[in-house]
Amino acid sequence: MIDSLDETTGRAYAVDGVIPRFAARPKDAEGVRDALRFADERGLAVIPWGGGSRIGLGNPPHRFDLALDMTGANRILDHTPGDLTATVEAGIAVDALQESLAVHGQFLPIDPPLPGRATLGGALAVGTSGPLKWQYGSIRDTVIGMKVVQADGTITKSGGQVVKNVSGYDMSRLHVGALGTLGVITEVSLKLAPRPAGEATVLARFDRPGPCFAAALGMFRSPLMPLAVTAFDARAGRRTGIVDPPGAWRLAVRLGGRPRALDRQVSESRAIIEGAATAGVEVLDAGGAETAWRALSDFGWDEPRPILGIRANATPSGMPQLVEGIKNMNGAGGLSLAIAAHPAHGTALFSWTGEDQASDDVAGIIDRARGLAARAGGCLVVEQAALAAKSGIDVWGGIAGPESVARGLKREYDPKGILNPGRFAGRV
Amino acid sequence: MTAVIADLREVVAELQAIVGAAYVIHRPEDLIVFEYDGSVDKAMPQMVALPASTEEASRVVEVVGRHGLPIVARGAGTGLSGGAVAEEGGVVLALTRMKRIIEIDPEDQVAVVEPGVVNVDVSAAAAEYGLYYAPDPSSQSACTIGGNVAENSGGPHCLAYGVTTNHVLGMEVVLADGSVHWLGGRTRETPGYDLRGIVIGSEGSLAIVTKVVLRLLRQPESVRTLLAVYREIDDASAAVSGIIAAGIVPAAIEMMDRLCIQAVEPAVNAGYPMGAGAVLLVEVDGLREAVEEESAEVERICRSRGPMEIRTAADAGERARLWAGRKGVLGALGRLAPNYYLVDGTIPRTKLPEALARIGDISDEYRLPIANLLHAGDGNLHPSVLFDERDPDELDRAMAAGGEILKLCVDSGGVLSGEHGIGLEKREYMPLMFDDDDLNAMARLGPAFGSEGMLNPGKIFPTGADRTHVSHSRAAAKAGAGAYI
Ligand SMILES: Cc1cc2nc3c(=O)[nH]c(=O)nc-3n(C[C@H](O)[C@H](O)[C@H](O)COP(=O)(O)OP(=O)(O)OC[C@H]3O[C@@H](n4cnc5c(N)ncnc54)[C@H](O)[C@@H]3O)c2cc1C
Repeated sequence: MIDSLDETTGRAYAVDGVIPRFAARPKDAEGVRDALRFADERGLAVIPWGGGSRIGLGNPPHRFDLALDMTGANRILDHTPGDLTATVEAGIAVDALQESLAVHGQFLPIDPPLPGRATLGGALAVGTSGPLKWQYGSIRDTVIGMKVVQADGTITKSGGQVVKNVSGYDMSRLHVGALGTLGVITEVSLKLAPRPAGEATVLARFDRPGPCFAAALGMFRSPLMPLAVTAFDARAGRRTGIVDPPGAWRLAVRLGGRPRALDRQVSESRAIIEGAATAGVEVLDAGGAETAWRALSDFGWDEPRPILGIRANATPSGMPQLVEGIKNMNGAGGLSLAIAAHPAHGTALFSWTGEDQASDDVAGIIDRARGLAARAGGCLVVEQAALAAKSGIDVWGGIAGPESVARGLKREYDPKGILNPGRFAGRV
Repeated sequence: MTAVIADLREVVAELQAIVGAAYVIHRPEDLIVFEYDGSVDKAMPQMVALPASTEEASRVVEVVGRHGLPIVARGAGTGLSGGAVAEEGGVVLALTRMKRIIEIDPEDQVAVVEPGVVNVDVSAAAAEYGLYYAPDPSSQSACTIGGNVAENSGGPHCLAYGVTTNHVLGMEVVLADGSVHWLGGRTRETPGYDLRGIVIGSEGSLAIVTKVVLRLLRQPESVRTLLAVYREIDDASAAVSGIIAAGIVPAAIEMMDRLCIQAVEPAVNAGYPMGAGAVLLVEVDGLREAVEEESAEVERICRSRGPMEIRTAADAGERARLWAGRKGVLGALGRLAPNYYLVDGTIPRTKLPEALARIGDISDEYRLPIANLLHAGDGNLHPSVLFDERDPDELDRAMAAGGEILKLCVDSGGVLSGEHGIGLEKREYMPLMFDDDDLNAMARLGPAFGSEGMLNPGKIFPTGADRTHVSHSRAAAKAGAGAYI
């Protein structure tokens, strides 16, 4: 069950250039338990692998001996449409799950990047999702129960299969967004949503970012209930197949609902956009909308992979200033920057592409961007960077909140430090 | 013995120096009101301290910790699982003086409040901006935001909008060593472990909450309420399933059974017809057009199940009349029996018919009437076992029936508590849901937060003792006017 790897076979599982010696691809929680026991007994460092779509996120690992490939545990264990809930193994690809739920007119309201490859467990461990969080909230909020295998192989469960539950601590919160440093997510019970009866996407063009963000915030403060609202610049637009002159910005508004409510949302979205000095508005056809939203949720993780990819957070009202600030930063020399932002959620993604840069220059960009985020009352994660640039910094910007608790959690749940050692905030 | 007393005097003096003499309560006759919460468990704390600020709270925690006494945080004391009862004595930290609404920010749609702020006051303050705070526990005119955070409280409208954890962006906390920290903040995403999410629902056992950043929602433009009366409860359950199957998630779906109707009709004159076996209340809100389209669909589904009667309300006055019956049930149960044990559990919503039938059997087996009130949309049951506690045998049977109902919830794939928490009341039932490994994993949070044995010790985890005796007959009176379950 545990495979020994050589240089060549191990390369497929490399993380930040570190090549593991062993791999396991269990097909259920018991298999995960066995692999972790093997590692625990030998003090081997483990990195759980989902689809690998965002495997490079995090600080470089201190050690890495065993790749725990989770894609073998990928069954849908239960889907009860009448309950709007499902229980699945964490290795299932997000798209595969969505396809199966769609048969019943339901879906899991998350849209992480590269959903064809991304596993549910990986998306949860990273803890961030895409544009749909405008309407549906954080990816954490979709989890109602979880089975986790702890570092020593103990299988534990928490939560349940119902949507309303306060029986004991909300343990799933410990693992969503923890990058697999406190346990391995193996099964998840989920709260689903009905698919909107109909959808429409309004796409607007602006000559400058200012009015684009003003329209987005206008939407946030209106009675409308968009599913997603994403602002992006011309370089990001290119990835969605839109060709605009440099300097132009776009706002995509995804709307859903029954026919009359949808019509009204479309016309009022247009009115808000027109009130903000737009250079033109259109309603996309279904195919165009699908392509655009796929590209926008993949943004930053699609090709070409960036030299530097940053995810910054601020308040909704702090967004325009943060985006302007980072956009106008100098020192990014030969690199070209593409930006996509979800203003109501206060998230902006910055993706610098181009020729390899001296790591000092990259470090300089990170430093200045982090300063700007802090000034906006927010924070910033370096999601992608070359190893040399990542090595000198904490990509998470250190531990936010009480350090004693963050380290305490690691001590309690992974005392030997074998799960993703060094990769999370504060290098726990 | 004397040493302990001398010690306590010293603690009182130190706390008085921090919060002021008037805000340390230590005379037994004054402590009585802090003996219990909304449940029936009772225990006398050694003293109560009422800080006015985070700084005072932090110093109190530090001093009490130094003296090795446990700390039990307390909001309004409306909790229904004994969470605020100082079972092991120690110091109750009452946060009711910290009741400032620090800020309502309409631009970012957040409110920053102190923990002692009463739930409904947040929405009242936000109303001038057309905003509100969505989680609406039935006790909202009395319970505090701090208590809501600690219990991860829900409410009738959490079907569509989610419970407390979905609406708290961040909070300031005092840890057991007295240190003050922010978990999360004003942004909607913060990297790092989600300590915010872990403290929510931790029943005061991991940290003391001293400020909370709440997400506000825009008040719905339109609200439509529909009441459907059925001869048989199964028809009401089928209507609930039909609504969910149609892809509609209403703001609220509430239900009550024959016994509730019999209790409430003479009290409230809601006008329910003779022979009614179930009342279903469905509220849809949002954009005007969406509400029109969805409520028409809801009405069609409800009609397809052969109701005795359907009524709808479009304005606030009519809506209040439709809700009056539902909200009056708790108060009216007193007409049927001197006491009731209100059980809180959740089942998968598709299991409603079987579960209700099984509760009928339990009622027969234990020879006690059980009135069923339910947040039917999310499967959250509140069966109320009616009894007379002056008869010890009835009391025992009521408690045993409650236990059977909890087992039934777990056996149907559900859980021990949907919104009232575990506290003292249900800790002995935890092994029904969780094995030792699961409980051990939960128990490690205390040491990680450094709060083990210090903050609200003894709650949540089983002690191996007999299952606690509880009744909720006092609950309604204590939650104040306007409260219901
Ligand atoms: C009539 C009635 C109806 C109710 N309806 C509902 C309902 O619809 N939904 C629902 O979910 N609940 C309901 N409840 C239960 C109760 O109102 C909630 O649990 C509420 O959140 C408790 O708030 P409180 O301020 O009264 O807290 P308390 O009872 O004082 O305390 C509850 C718990 O919170 C902890 N705590 C309090 N403040 C803090 C703080 N600042 N920091 C850390 N821990 C703290 C306490 O230690 C305790 O463990 C109802 C209760 C009654 C009496």
